[in-house]
Amino acid sequence: MTGRKVLMNFEVTPTSHTLEAYLARGGYQTIAKVLRELKPGDVTKEIVASGIQGRGGAAFPAGRKWQVVDPNDGQPHYLIANADEGEPGTFKDRWILENSPHTLLESMLIAAYALAVRNAFVYIRGEFDQPYRRLAAAVEEAYAAGYFGQGILGSGFSCDMFIFRGAGAYVCGEASSLLSSVEGTRGYPRNRPPRLTVKGLFQRPTVVNNVETLSNLSWIMQHGAEEYRKVGTAKSPGTRLISISGHIERPGVYEVEMGYSWAKFIYGVCGGVPNGRKLKAVIPGGISSQVLTGPDAKIMTPEEVESLTLDHDALWQMGSSMGSGGMIVIAEGTCMVRLLQVMLRFYHHESCGQCTPCREGMGWAHRVIDRIVAGQGRPEDIATLRYISKFNDGTTICGLGDAAGYATVAFLDHFRDEFEYYIEHKRSKYDGRLECLPEAAHA
Amino acid sequence: MKHLIPEFEALKRRLPPELDSTLVLPCLRRIQEDRGYVAEEDIDGLVEYLGVPRIQIEEVLSFYTMLRRRPIGHWHLQVCRNVSCSMRGAERLIDHLGRKLGVAPGQTTADGRFTLSTVECLGSCGTAPVVMVNERYHELQDERSLDALLEELKQP
Amino acid sequence: MPEIFINGKPYQAEPDQTVLQVALANGIYVPYFCWHPQLSVAGNCRICMVEEEGRGVDIGCNMPVKAGMRILTESDEVRAHRKAILQFITLNHPVDCGICDKAGECTLQDYHYQYNGTPSISHDRKVTSTKFYDLSDRIVLDNERCIVCSRCVRFTREVSKSNGLGIEERADGSLVRPSTDGSFRDDPYSDNVVDLCPVGALLSRSFFYKARVWYLQATPSVCPGCERGCNVDIWHRKPEWFVQSLDAAENTAIARVTPRENAAVNGPWICNKGRDLARIFERKRAGQAMLKGRPVDLPNAVAEARRLLAGAARPAAVVSAWGSNEELEAFRAALGGRVTVVTRQDHVPEPGEVVEDDLLIRADKNPNSAKLRELFGNAAATLPADADLVLVWGEGFEFARIPPGAKVVLLGSYLAPENGHADVFLPISIQTERDGHYTNFQGVVSGFAACFPKAPGVADAETLFAGLAGGGP
Repeated sequence: MTGRKVLMNFEVTPTSHTLEAYLARGGYQTIAKVLRELKPGDVTKEIVASGIQGRGGAAFPAGRKWQVVDPNDGQPHYLIANADEGEPGTFKDRWILENSPHTLLESMLIAAYALAVRNAFVYIRGEFDQPYRRLAAAVEEAYAAGYFGQGILGSGFSCDMFIFRGAGAYVCGEASSLLSSVEGTRGYPRNRPPRLTVKGLFQRPTVVNNVETLSNLSWIMQHGAEEYRKVGTAKSPGTRLISISGHIERPGVYEVEMGYSWAKFIYGVCGGVPNGRKLKAVIPGGISSQVLTGPDAKIMTPEEVESLTLDHDALWQMGSSMGSGGMIVIAEGTCMVRLLQVMLRFYHHESCGQCTPCREGMGWAHRVIDRIVAGQGRPEDIATLRYISKFNDGTTICGLGDAAGYATVAFLDHFRDEFEYYIEHKRSKYDGRLECLPEAAHA
Repeated sequence: MKHLIPEFEALKRRLPPELDSTLVLPCLRRIQEDRGYVAEEDIDGLVEYLGVPRIQIEEVLSFYTMLRRRPIGHWHLQVCRNVSCSMRGAERLIDHLGRKLGVAPGQTTADGRFTLSTVECLGSCGTAPVVMVNERYHELQDERSLDALLEELKQP
Repeated sequence: MPEIFINGKPYQAEPDQTVLQVALANGIYVPYFCWHPQLSVAGNCRICMVEEEGRGVDIGCNMPVKAGMRILTESDEVRAHRKAILQFITLNHPVDCGICDKAGECTLQDYHYQYNGTPSISHDRKVTSTKFYDLSDRIVLDNERCIVCSRCVRFTREVSKSNGLGIEERADGSLVRPSTDGSFRDDPYSDNVVDLCPVGALLSRSFFYKARVWYLQATPSVCPGCERGCNVDIWHRKPEWFVQSLDAAENTAIARVTPRENAAVNGPWICNKGRDLARIFERKRAGQAMLKGRPVDLPNAVAEARRLLAGAARPAAVVSAWGSNEELEAFRAALGGRVTVVTRQDHVPEPGEVVEDDLLIRADKNPNSAKLRELFGNAAATLPADADLVLVWGEGFEFARIPPGAKVVLLGSYLAPENGHADVFLPISIQTERDGHYTNFQGVVSGFAACFPKAPGVADAETLFAGLAGGGP
């Protein structure tokens, strides 16, 4: 572990988000160098070499996505930063927007140059208020200073930036749904083919990247791909912004080097579970990632030497994923049936309704879990939830249905006894509360 | 919405020329910010201004949770009840607000001052429980802070 | 030309085709709800899943062909997925079959029996929604039955371009709804969504609860509403299902009209006027031959007409663009040399009727102007002022234009005041009572067949003409 920080490498003050502060810490020098010395293809090559994986949830290698776009095909291209951040448990892109929006903007200029993009967008979820205001102010500062507009820094490269605010739809965090939204219609995702990098926004080649993914680019171009690969692990280079919440002493956003010990992170950095309670489970990367029990992840105590590390391979091998980096810690005594109820209610609310398995399946799963929680569960309900999950896996237009299914099956796999108990006894094995309060909560 | 058109024209300056329909959502947001909701005549005006079919605007208005075609209370109290917030007491706070205001989620107080809603994750899980009041996030809430907030909001 | 394998057999494909298209073109049936050959790919129903060997299942309607790809359409995986999709689709679908007009021609019914046939595994109440929703005054929508395939919406966006329909709300509360500016109500092609709907969600009001489809048969016909001559099916009761104790008029009624696909004329669509053919054909019929209003039997009336014609020095005839190819040929053969022909387009656009558009509707509201022009030239001249006999064949001709003193022999199908004023009135059959053809404005000839028997006392015009000329009965 190098201990290096790529993003949270400055002191946050009431003015550290301003252009002045950003310039003082070397801001906009990288784009200047790129425009002076490099061709678009050189930038893409560097990004590919860095091996950076997408940090929105899918971990797709960003460079590979970029390579589909031919900067010389004469078509308009679009670049969109996905700031929809709707995955429950996730609030790390917000940190970047509030505290260093210029990191994102400079990185987007670098990306726009590489991809021959004349019009760039940030799609920011409609509910975000201060993140939006800070980003909007940063965009105006950047325009005023000549970093956006015609002939940037005296080069032939021009780029305009449009901040597009959403209006309340989790599904619009999915890249193709995001495009439908920007095109002025319902946020319906699209079938692939065609890939968005071939036919995206208004049928033009479009790259959609997560805010954090993009924000890494200026560091990568400043220090080089080789330097970047020294950070993190061989297969998961770099750092990850992790938003941690739930039953944890010090919730918040932390920059963690890939490969860091999970146990050290939870207990050493974030203070462990409050009120002297034991850890029960952790959802590693937003509710759409599979829950892991404390014992399985070997994070029951701070000293667990065998603790799972925070990198993609370690979690994939455990049947889970780093997902969006939205970590939720769950203490002993929490009713997992009620927790799944909250999650299924969410997926039902957010399903766009376009395709059959998710449209019908989310509502169905929600009704089943509601019935279980109301004390009217039936023994076959667990099989029904598995059925719904199984036939939302790989059958839908976007990943919402699949994610709900993965999350559900993980809950049923690891906490089957709680579900069976609830169905048989018509009440929670615990007191049904979801909070982690001082007194013991065993029923 | 006609008085907002100069603002919409300014937005166009940062968009490529063919992308007029991109303005649907930004215009609707601005119209709602101005009037408090989107009225039928706003839809008519927007259809004319953008040249999009009326059904497209109607579909969009029904799809996105933040857009509405009817006015609500002066203060919109939106309490997140997703996972992290529920694990930090959101359900308690929803009950508390409901009792204090005498309404159930989805309803508006008789004096039209407060509308109580439950919403999904607001991206503020680290500072849960969070209540969004109109556009502002109010984080790390508990019964006491909410009581104080209500008092403040009750002022004319 | 890429070659792909389906269930082990090789098939030639076009490079831009999808697997579903190749399968269907080669008689390999893959189920589908939302796909339609004339609409964009929506890919939302998910039932057209096929398996690509080594790559798992995916929808076939959006799967581009790749040379050498190996597709399975009946593997265990595919079957399991079809069953599951049907389980999801029927989850909230009301078991309305007993009262649903679509029964008997419902894709969901067919697929349920073919691919699933098992009861729902759900123990929860179905989601309820609006039923009997007036999508327009012509179409009833039942949202509970709707499977949100979006065919109707895509139709109004891509074909009729009225943008009359959309989908509102989200998740399993999604609702097909009409635009509130009335553009669906004003869409002259609106009723095509009834054919498109794979279930009983969109139903025609004029057919609502009229008859079970298995009591009906479809007879090919041609819409006479304009010179496009869209091919249609006229549905009416099968003889073995004739009603005995209800009003016998049911047995000779037009139950409904649907498009009959003809790529050269109308594709799979017709406009609403074609749906309303009963408005034209079921007007009160003239069934009685008359001499100046006095009822006589048909042979007598024909004899009198023949006598008048033989005695006329300067006979003229007004020939209608509603005559069929056969009728017009018969007229020309029997009388064309004998009379001065004036052609007439009987029907003109009514107030409020779409005159012409760039889809199907043509301004000439008559079915056979092309044949008329071919046989009698373009001139729709006025009647010679010295005509002493005018044979009027068609409807709506103003008798005031008949030269004073001229005798009138009128051939007509519908009750009209003029019928009683003519010297001879001969009731003739309409297109639903005989076989025949029309030629449309592009020269395409389409045929219609008889649906109903003629009433006794009504003649076929084409057999009458020879008799009027003096040779024949």
